[in-house]
Amino acid sequence: MRLSGRKLIATIFVLAVLASLLILVLLPTFYLISFTITRWNEVYTDVFANPLIGDENWHQILRYLSFSLRLSLIVVVIDLAFGIPLAYFLARKQFWGKSLLEDVVTLSLVIPTSGFGVATLLTWTGVSGLGALIGRGVIEASYVVPIVNVPFLMLFVHVALTFPYIVRTLQGKLEDLEPVFEQASRTLGASALTTFRKIIFPLSIPALFSGGVLAFARSLGETGATMIVASIHTTAPMAIVRWVSEFKLATASFLGLLLIIAATVAILIVDILLQRGGRIKAPRFSLMPKIRGKLLKVEKAASGKPRHIKDIVGLGAIMLIVILPIFVVVASVGAYWSVDPDTGRPQGSVLYQLFGPPNYFATLMDSTLISVITAAISTYIAACVAIPSVYFIKRYRVGRIFRYILRIPLIVPSSALGLSVLLLWGPSGFNLVSPGIWLIILTHVVFSVPVVMEPTIAAYEGSGIPTYEGVARTLGASPYDAIETVSLPMLKRGILAGVILSFTRSLGETGATFLVMGSDVTVPPLVVNMAESLATSAALFSSAYLIALSLVLLLLFRMVTRR
Amino acid sequence: MPNVKLVNVRKTFAKGRVVAVDQVNLHVHDKEYFALVGPSGCGKTTTLRMIAGLVEPDEGQIFIGDRLVSELPPEDRDIGYVFQQYALFPNMDVWDNVTYGPTVKAWEDRKRERIGREMLQMVRLYERADAVPRELSGGMMQRVALSRALAAGAELLLLDEPLGALDAKIRTELRYEIRKLVKDLDLTAIHVTHDQSEAMAVSDRIAVMKKGRILQVGTPHELYMKPQGIFVANFIGESNFLEGRIVRKEGKAGVIVRLRGDFDVKSRSNGRLKAGAKVVLAIRPEAFELVQGKEKLENSLVGVIEKVRFEGTDIRYEIRLVNDEKVIVVRPSLGGEWLEEDNNVTIGFSPEKSHMFPYPEKGLRAELELE
Repeated sequence: MRLSGRKLIATIFVLAVLASLLILVLLPTFYLISFTITRWNEVYTDVFANPLIGDENWHQILRYLSFSLRLSLIVVVIDLAFGIPLAYFLARKQFWGKSLLEDVVTLSLVIPTSGFGVATLLTWTGVSGLGALIGRGVIEASYVVPIVNVPFLMLFVHVALTFPYIVRTLQGKLEDLEPVFEQASRTLGASALTTFRKIIFPLSIPALFSGGVLAFARSLGETGATMIVASIHTTAPMAIVRWVSEFKLATASFLGLLLIIAATVAILIVDILLQRGGRIKAPRFSLMPKIRGKLLKVEKAASGKPRHIKDIVGLGAIMLIVILPIFVVVASVGAYWSVDPDTGRPQGSVLYQLFGPPNYFATLMDSTLISVITAAISTYIAACVAIPSVYFIKRYRVGRIFRYILRIPLIVPSSALGLSVLLLWGPSGFNLVSPGIWLIILTHVVFSVPVVMEPTIAAYEGSGIPTYEGVARTLGASPYDAIETVSLPMLKRGILAGVILSFTRSLGETGATFLVMGSDVTVPPLVVNMAESLATSAALFSSAYLIALSLVLLLLFRMVTRR
Repeated sequence: MPNVKLVNVRKTFAKGRVVAVDQVNLHVHDKEYFALVGPSGCGKTTTLRMIAGLVEPDEGQIFIGDRLVSELPPEDRDIGYVFQQYALFPNMDVWDNVTYGPTVKAWEDRKRERIGREMLQMVRLYERADAVPRELSGGMMQRVALSRALAAGAELLLLDEPLGALDAKIRTELRYEIRKLVKDLDLTAIHVTHDQSEAMAVSDRIAVMKKGRILQVGTPHELYMKPQGIFVANFIGESNFLEGRIVRKEGKAGVIVRLRGDFDVKSRSNGRLKAGAKVVLAIRPEAFELVQGKEKLENSLVGVIEKVRFEGTDIRYEIRLVNDEKVIVVRPSLGGEWLEEDNNVTIGFSPEKSHMFPYPEKGLRAELELE
């Protein structure tokens, strides 16, 4: 009797987990696909055979998509160039200020992107930031990088927001990598750089790939900061936001579908490459002996004193694109406090825009309330779904498939996700929830579940929980007791880290929120709106405010994850 | 000619709070198989890593073959280093591992191929050249690691607990194989181990280290027969320690020592200690004679057998003497009769087989502590 009772409970548990995953996470993620297929005629007419403009929509889609893909690929390349030396530096060296540097890396992950976009725009364009030094904007938003034809500022913003994915995954991998391999290579006669090329780099390829795909996906879906620095350029996620606001749902959903496919293909390719385990064997191309000898000599020479140059270059780049904008935005709030320093008019001041007739302060407070409520509720729901899911994933064989599928919401561009949720639950779908606070929550839950889950799974895998639960069982604990007294406390740090990350991400989310918020505006879209309506001072203040909020959350995250 | 010389080498960790190696002077001769032994944390591995250049000394100088190498990076020291965890590169197969040294030193292709083949044939793994490291057993991996270290052309081989991760049986087999290789190839080898029997079995000379200092350097025979301190007497082989006081001189080279319970025994004098000095006698378990009942032996002591353990080659007796001291006596299992628990016995030892040391300042137990 007792056994079958237990089995019943286990079955109910599994079904409940599956049902919540299905309804709250998977259905919204993949609904866009079925929407596009079931309404194919409508989509086809709109995109390829519009009676007024023919296939102009299709050409626009191609243009935006190729621009976005080009941008993301370049961003990943730059991330790698800066991220690899930085990760190596962080993993292998002990120095004063190391934890501060690690915080800067994490800050890029938690910073609300629209606020950061304002900061970057301010720093480089016009005469308010760096431009003050030379009397004109250093880099205007319309300047593009030659050949690849991608605007500088967009590149800066995307690199700043995505390089942590490379640094963190690679740093983790390098810290796990036994130093004996490097030492063995050195004792066998290889210089430091040769050792890096022949040993460390090949061994970190899996980490580089998984970090790279995350950075790629984040860049592909970035909306908040991108909208602010975009000038005349349009990325694919921005196009979705615009088309939805113009009620061109069919075209928007087709582009969304393509984005989902692009992100999924990227993760699939990487997974297939990694599935072959450490078996990625670079084709054994042998250089000409002469060149080989020269290369070894160059590496040997470069392994000497000037090796600090690469560390300084990486650090300098971070200073320039991450730290500097934050300082500039804070300083500018001061400069604009009571009067617009350029025009001398008090109407442009922070005080006037916040507390004067525009009364942005009240709006900002309303938005803060909405942001905090949505972040809290969606994180809470996500934790309730994610924690049992971790047990389900680790205990049942099918769990592995779910773990795999659940990574997709993490990499799908959030505006595509928002569109999917809007079409599913909103007026044009099941018509259960209208745009507003509840639809925001439903949207944020979709990506919050995997965000909470990832660190929890990592904690689970690193802790030997099955062994300890087994020990508890041999000492007489019931399965439930074993979970409550042994494994949940061991997962606590992982869960807390996930919860904070999820809260921060929800607080800073822009792309999806734009589509589902209706009149319940959260802070990040508010900042975009302020910037677009040229309420510069209010945008400045709100950006500084968002950045301050994220610093507090960063501090919390640090307290939880440090041992 | 790779002889190795360390002059006043010192290394501290944690900003000087932990002294790992303290003013070590050492001279390893050319073509010598040298072992550094000591309990864990004694500084032996740090010493080896300083010779390799993996750790920088705080003070002192290190010479390899008359060349001052203290400032050189490891890749310029011409050494072969074998790690306890093998450290075979997981991204390469056996062949690429073994030819790594020749490759990064940009040797000619033909020479590299030849050396790789020779080295792998030497450790009988040539036919496994295409295997990846994780397909090999521990013993095979260590043989590959050994041939990899040798293929780089070094004449100085540094072995850091090379057998520590292996099963007991393979450990003993492989240690003779390593010694044979070193001798056949005329190499100088420095072998770090915490296992004194391994050190005794492979090396020409041994240095015993404790707490960052070298206590004694000598051949295995010297260390066993003439330990210069209580710690060495206990660490190399095994010893019983009996506390007492010198009563008087006896003959030319002997003294009478009064043990607890007023037993007087005769021991070899060490020359310096005077009558009245508190001393410790170290006697190896295999140095005792053991007979049943009360008998008259040289330096005879009577007691009762408390425990008997059969250990294959030896039988090990734990004997409680009438003065309440406990003594371990080991007898070969194939020679003579076995005694049983609760038997009354007499044990004795010849004065030449005892070593007398002054009683340590911090007490006997503290002196014998391993950590």
